[in-house]
Amino acid sequence: MEIVWSDFSESCPILKECLDSSDLAKETEDTLEYIYEVLWIEIGSFVRSKLAPTFWSCFKHNQTLAKFEKDGGSAEALQQQYKLFTNFVNAVKSLDAYYQFVRTSLEKLDGICQRADHGKSLAKLNELLRSALLSQLPTHFNNVVYSFYSVSFRVFFNLHQSTSMGQDNEDLDESGMPCKGCNQELEKCQCQSLLQTINEVNQKLVDLELLDRLAGQSMTFLVQQRIKEHIKNTCHGIFDRSHLKNLLTWLEDVVICWLMQVFHSKVSADPDAMHTDDGSKSTDVIQSLKVKLTFYVYENYALSVIDQFFSIIIDFPDSIPAIEDLKICMEKINLRRQIINTLKSSLEARILHPGVNTMDILTGYVAAIKAIRYLDSSGVILETVTAPIKEYLRKRSDTVRCVVTSLTETESGPTDLSEELAKGDAVKDGTKGNVNDELSNWENWQPDPFGLDNTVQTRTVKTSRSADIISMVVDIYGSKELFMSEYRNLLADRLLTQLEFNPEKEIRNLELLKLRFGESLLHNCEVMLKDIADSKRINSHIHSDTKYVENKQFDISSLIISAQFWPSFNKESVELPEEIANEFQKYTKSYEEYKGNRTLNWRTVTGKVAISIELGDRVLDMTVAPTQAVIIYHFQNKNEWSLDDLSTLVKIPPSVLRRRMAFWQSHGIIIESQPGIYKLIEDELPKSQLEKLPINEIITEDEDNESAMASASDQREEELQVFWSYIVGMLTNLDSLPIERIHQMLKLFASNGLGVEFTQDDLKDFLQRKVRDHKLIYSGGVYQLAK
Amino acid sequence: MKVTIKSWMGVASWRWIANDENCGICRMSFESTCPECALPGDNCPLVWGVCTHCFHMHCIVKWLNLQTMNKQCPMCRQAWKFNFH
Repeated sequence: MEIVWSDFSESCPILKECLDSSDLAKETEDTLEYIYEVLWIEIGSFVRSKLAPTFWSCFKHNQTLAKFEKDGGSAEALQQQYKLFTNFVNAVKSLDAYYQFVRTSLEKLDGICQRADHGKSLAKLNELLRSALLSQLPTHFNNVVYSFYSVSFRVFFNLHQSTSMGQDNEDLDESGMPCKGCNQELEKCQCQSLLQTINEVNQKLVDLELLDRLAGQSMTFLVQQRIKEHIKNTCHGIFDRSHLKNLLTWLEDVVICWLMQVFHSKVSADPDAMHTDDGSKSTDVIQSLKVKLTFYVYENYALSVIDQFFSIIIDFPDSIPAIEDLKICMEKINLRRQIINTLKSSLEARILHPGVNTMDILTGYVAAIKAIRYLDSSGVILETVTAPIKEYLRKRSDTVRCVVTSLTETESGPTDLSEELAKGDAVKDGTKGNVNDELSNWENWQPDPFGLDNTVQTRTVKTSRSADIISMVVDIYGSKELFMSEYRNLLADRLLTQLEFNPEKEIRNLELLKLRFGESLLHNCEVMLKDIADSKRINSHIHSDTKYVENKQFDISSLIISAQFWPSFNKESVELPEEIANEFQKYTKSYEEYKGNRTLNWRTVTGKVAISIELGDRVLDMTVAPTQAVIIYHFQNKNEWSLDDLSTLVKIPPSVLRRRMAFWQSHGIIIESQPGIYKLIEDELPKSQLEKLPINEIITEDEDNESAMASASDQREEELQVFWSYIVGMLTNLDSLPIERIHQMLKLFASNGLGVEFTQDDLKDFLQRKVRDHKLIYSGGVYQLAK
Repeated sequence: MKVTIKSWMGVASWRWIANDENCGICRMSFESTCPECALPGDNCPLVWGVCTHCFHMHCIVKWLNLQTMNKQCPMCRQAWKFNFH
């Protein structure tokens, strides 16, 4: 106090004199007034020139060192923080000392001057002080304040934790770690004393009405940082529990409690009637802070959930609590845009790239549909988020195949989609019911959420919003027809490679698909399956035909198909040796007798043949493709064939034949002795070589994987062939046309009931093929007939 | 070397033995069905007239029922008589 006094009297001698001279009261009122004014000016200049700079000098002192401090974490930074902490404490303490002195002096002065409104002059003093301090605010003062409060928060948090955890916590901490609160050895823990200091400082700041101005920003920043950290520590990666309630309790228990302590330290220490005004004011401040912070918690938690939404989608049924939480947050804050953007980019990064299997993308897509639908029943988010997935899947050629496979595949355990399919027709009724719902239930109608891209919304069709998962998946392609024709191809492939007469599983799938997609689209498939059943009957009939059975050399069973209803086959064929062809003749004859007026066209390359090969002293039993059987059959009579000779005999192009030969080469029965010359090996190969060769395995290698059906693009072209005569007519009359015109005109015909859908790209492929065949000329962007 | 074929599982498509490809009435392929039917073959057979023209049975029967006076083949206008093989 002595130092303060000497400092003060040095800077304003008048004040000292005035206060000392007891005869001041005797002066006239004018003089008193004058002296009073002068004194105020003196106090003002003292505060400005001495008090404020002294206070701030504690802060400036640390400017250079303060850089460390934001890094946090490291021991050095922590040490620095404590240093700044003490600085701050000292600064506030000395400021308070001056302030108290000036205040008492002022009180004395007021007494002498017989001023009644002491409160007013006190307020004036406070204002003077505040303005003086704030006008000289150094740039880095926040660092110091921040250090102070982060230490303060840590101490508080530590104490809070140890009281809530009780004795256990202390046991844990005894492993030589410094106390988390005060960074001291545990035995010398100073948390309690620190807490006291902190409270004192806070109280002084409240007295000076400086707390909010000086520390508000740092405090908010600090608290927000803590909240973020806390959310990250407690909630990251855990989706199967709801966190929201815990977070809010934590906020209430820890953060708000601490803020209370900061603001209310005075009230709690001195609950006088005089301070109730202050108290209610700070309660207000805390209340408003609490609201803000609660929202901050909501927002940050929601953001953290959104960031991890991809993982949530993947774990979907288990991650429901997290989605529930997010739902609550979304009611409070508008986060749709955030969700859409984050989710879109994370989906793109995680599944929409060439490194992911189509099957996995589909699984992700289905999971996303489920999860997002759970989150937002209006379907707007779903629509927007899944648009890129759909677009991407559309570009993959095997998408439809994957969808169909996962719809119908039940061997490797039911997939999501096959389960959905098995749920049956409930959905079909649902879509019907929905229309009624919308009309009768109009009171509950809700507008679409706003604030989203409007273009997306207008394009969306209402039905697709309420559509089920399978429709969403089928919707990838936009048309059921395309999807169903792909199913037909798949079914045909499966039936032709299995070549078995028990399609129960396929029939069940077909029935399920029929329930969903309607009979008419699947009519072809139904005929296909009926062909299988019919073939079984016909075969058994023919096999009981004595005239046939007596003559036959080997068993023939056949799948007899109604070609019109099957996808078109590819154009491969093989010429059978006469003996074999005769056998088929016999079979055909028997069929013709059974079914009057009908005959059979054999598709020689498809099927499977059981043969046994006697080679020297070995007998090999194998099941092979017809082409391979024919090849080896020809080697019976002639040990050596040139590729060209054999090619003309079996009517297979040499390049294809060479590939087929590879099968026998891999079995070590035929070798290519010279280029283009194939030779049978009668002798057994040396043992070592033989072991490498899987002779008795019944394999047909990649033959099985080759589809017997024409490829999709071939089929497409066949469809467009219908239009060729129209195109010729058009170009004859109009000489030359750009592709857009041709497409437009053909669409007119197509809409007249030919029922072929095609895009301009399809047409372009078709026309380009015609250009290659020299039927058309393409130049300058227009097509012309070749003359 | 001797190759013995033990059994052959083949694939064939059936077709009608007829002198045309499409039914003259419904213009659908014979191997397909008349507009009324769903399943081809036995369920939607062909019939031949004495005039050698042939049609889906359902198509020609329908046609004949529509003719009030003399029943004629729609292709050649001769009197229609079924040719039972």
